[in-house]
Amino acid sequence: MVKKTKLNNLARQTVGGLAAKLLGWRTWIQAAFLLVWLDPMSLRLHNVCGPVFHCYACPLATFACPIGVIAQFGAIHIFPFAAVGFLVVLGALFGSLICGWVCPFGLLQDLAANVPTAKFSLPKWTGYLRYVVLIGTVLAIPYFFGESHPLFICRVCPAGALEKAVPDMAQQAIAGQQIVWPNALKLTILVLFLIAIFFVKRPWCRLLCPLGAIFLLFNRISAFFIRFNVDKCTNCLQCHKFCKYNIEPEKSPNDLRCIRCLECTRCAFDALTFGSIFERRQ
Amino acid sequence: MDLTDKKTKVIIFCLLTLLGVVLFAYGIFFHFTNISPQQPDDPAVRTASELALIKEVSIGGVTRDTSGELRQTYTGKPPQACPT
Repeated sequence: MVKKTKLNNLARQTVGGLAAKLLGWRTWIQAAFLLVWLDPMSLRLHNVCGPVFHCYACPLATFACPIGVIAQFGAIHIFPFAAVGFLVVLGALFGSLICGWVCPFGLLQDLAANVPTAKFSLPKWTGYLRYVVLIGTVLAIPYFFGESHPLFICRVCPAGALEKAVPDMAQQAIAGQQIVWPNALKLTILVLFLIAIFFVKRPWCRLLCPLGAIFLLFNRISAFFIRFNVDKCTNCLQCHKFCKYNIEPEKSPNDLRCIRCLECTRCAFDALTFGSIFERRQ
Repeated sequence: MDLTDKKTKVIIFCLLTLLGVVLFAYGIFFHFTNISPQQPDDPAVRTASELALIKEVSIGGVTRDTSGELRQTYTGKPPQACPT
């Protein structure tokens, strides 16, 4: 019995304890994953979807963008079984943990947010815009109008603009060639995005990211989750200060707006901890 | 349904994972599509797996034409990147 209890405690400490230890290394972990997405070995595995928002038009992309693939498949009226299955498995396991710890576009926004400027908060309802983007530009527009429509996701995506169009323009400028500008809408979104990342925490993720919208749907049911222990909570509201996304973690630890940066698990009283369904609990 | 209950979470997780794995496996191993060549008079229709199709769409290499057929957008060397 004692041995079993010890094993249970160890299992609990493994996930929560590991998360606590890794918390200070989050930027480095994101940077390490960035190396994976940037294809340092020139593998160009573009017949496989990656789990993150990273444009496959980029010369430095290991995998295909799942959102791009879903939209392009929609445009040719074929259901993307592999891409959807992959996202469902990842979502069921991690939820938006991928947004907080793995996504390169998230890393870029996190780094920009470190610049000391006034930061503005966003109203709660703006989080639903992601579903407008997902349903509109990723599902409906590609299906009904094809990939030539100006609001097709890849034609307005700031990741594509930043990772492909801008380097191409720079290359053309350096080579003295005529510069091929991306369309005005894409350019406007890119400029707005580049301004917004300095004044709002993760504006793309919180406002418009269709991939985040998919992963967030799994937050309340994913295998890894944030656990709130009401008995340990002292109502100090320290977690409100830890959370940069205006979520009240004690009320909604697996909120649909949470990107799972896990900052709230810094709770001094262990009222908020990172857990998983794989732990044995008595 | 209480989503904080561990048993419920485990059941939902298992069902979702099963669904995801089935979709993924079907896409990879059993889902094939016929793609016509760019030239309409060329009779050589090829069958592409979903993985091959992912690669093709990532460079804008396939389109659905007015007759409803999937058609390659290039002949010979594939484009470097998608047209968007």
